[in-house]
Amino acid sequence: MKELSEEEKKKILESSPKGTWVIMFVYGILFSLGFLYFWFELFVARGSIN
Amino acid sequence: MATSSTGSSDIALSTETIKSTNKLAFWNFVVAFAAFALALPMGAYQVLERSGMFPALENAAVYYASTSTHGVLMAYVLSTFFIMGFGYHTAVHSLKQTLWSPRFAWIGFWISTIGVVLAALPLLTGHASILYTFYPPEIAHPAFYIGAAMLVIGSWFWCVIMVISTVQWKKANPNKPVPLIMYGTVLNALLWLWTSVGVAAEVVFQLIPMSLGWVDSLDPGLARVLFSETLHGIVYFWLFPAYLVMYTIMPKEAGGKLFSDEFARIAFLMLFIFSVPIGMHHLYMDPMIAAGWKLLHMFGTFMVAVPTLITGFSIIATMEIAGRLRGGKGLFGWIKTLDYTNPVVLASTLSLLMLTVGGWGGVINAAYSLDALIHNTQWIPGHFHLIYGGTTVIMYFAAAYWLWPKITGHQLFSNKLVLTQLWLWFIGMWITTMPWHYLGLVGQPRRVDTVQAYQQAEELVRSWDFSMLIMNFGALILLVSGLLFVYILFMTAREPAISKADREVSYAEAIHPPLHVPTLLNSLAFWNWAMLIYLIASYGYPILQFWFIGTPESPAWGI
Repeated sequence: MKELSEEEKKKILESSPKGTWVIMFVYGILFSLGFLYFWFELFVARGSIN
Repeated sequence: MATSSTGSSDIALSTETIKSTNKLAFWNFVVAFAAFALALPMGAYQVLERSGMFPALENAAVYYASTSTHGVLMAYVLSTFFIMGFGYHTAVHSLKQTLWSPRFAWIGFWISTIGVVLAALPLLTGHASILYTFYPPEIAHPAFYIGAAMLVIGSWFWCVIMVISTVQWKKANPNKPVPLIMYGTVLNALLWLWTSVGVAAEVVFQLIPMSLGWVDSLDPGLARVLFSETLHGIVYFWLFPAYLVMYTIMPKEAGGKLFSDEFARIAFLMLFIFSVPIGMHHLYMDPMIAAGWKLLHMFGTFMVAVPTLITGFSIIATMEIAGRLRGGKGLFGWIKTLDYTNPVVLASTLSLLMLTVGGWGGVINAAYSLDALIHNTQWIPGHFHLIYGGTTVIMYFAAAYWLWPKITGHQLFSNKLVLTQLWLWFIGMWITTMPWHYLGLVGQPRRVDTVQAYQQAEELVRSWDFSMLIMNFGALILLVSGLLFVYILFMTAREPAISKADREVSYAEAIHPPLHVPTLLNSLAFWNWAMLIYLIASYGYPILQFWFIGTPESPAWGI
């Protein structure tokens, strides 16, 4: 593991966590798709309770 | 505005204080993990029995007694004692002050411990086979309720100590922000005080009188509403320390810093406020509550997703920072460079992965209409095992691995076995709970001991076979992993002593330490008033209506 300079460390600490934003975005999409699948394919598609 | 320049990390604790706190934490952990070890084989037995593939194991009486005992030990005893032990240690080491009245803490410990023993007797002899939920008209032996009440009362001693310790610290350190880990701990103590009121009222005014034969009937609807006030808040009582480990211990173990102290405080406050007055989402199918109240609780439940997402973001961002400080490049290169040989880092990663699906499943449960798909099906045990057994308990393991050497003074036994144990738990939890989610969706009911009762629907039962087979493997993996955990802690006592420096306790710093924290992010009184108002708004009328309407009562069932 290469030792980072103080400047490099400071830059990392101050920078936006881009990877995290992407992960959260992808999770949000999958979360919504999963919810919609349950709503339309499993819930609505089964029809009313008789 | 609360301000801080240096915090109190430079204040040294006396050896006597550290020793007495370690002893208190140690014995709380011993009870917690003894309960865990006892409950583990029961869990595996229930899965094997329920699968219908081992006729020799099938016994309804044993199944229900075992399920009740497993639930009580895992959900109430493991969690409560772990949280108390972790909390005492946290209060002393984060506030750098002597615990307010260790004698009071030991009284609470013994009340809770005697309560557990008292409750265990009817549980193990089949006189409290009510599935660890307090849902009358199922009624257990009075010793079970008296023991459970003692467990809760003992835990209130812990809550009082956490609150007094924090208030003392705030008085001694005016205008300084309470250390983050302690702020979360004291909010959790307050959360538990508020949320346990429901079950305490139910047990004291309904279940104990009924179980002792003082009354002939009770209102099961009222009991269910009271229990619902506890039933969801308790999940966040369990989850809070898991998040605290991620926020305040993991960043340092990962070689980085916490992404944001303020974000963490906001998430803690939101968890505190939003997790208690929303329990009626457990009652969507109950007829005694009007749809409007259920809808209100549904929106409240969705609000809990906000602090959960804040936590997810903050912890992943913290990991990203640590990974980049270890040389990770590109958008996702930091994932590879994280130190997964560190138990806290590995457990946090695995915990978050389980939270992704567990949290999503929680939103399905919370949705008023979608709940009809999975209500009282095997999906529900799949969900709560993934959230509690998975996301939460794996962080209890991580906390234990972090703390055990510090409180016992011995080097942790075999890091390789520790990592194996965590991976096995993660794998076992998926293999067990994914089939349960599926079985729930295809209509398998929860709670029942055997599928034999459904043999008239052969095609339906056949569609369960593969999932039932798979879950057996998962349960056995979990059993092995759990026993390995206990073995590692046990064997640690035989390891060489560690240095005084290695026993030092310090918590992670935020990238920007909280020099200025808004008063509301450091306060307790305001949020307690907010909780009271929210609770009255969401539970006041639904409880009072039982007296206005005069709902029917039911005789006891189960003795």
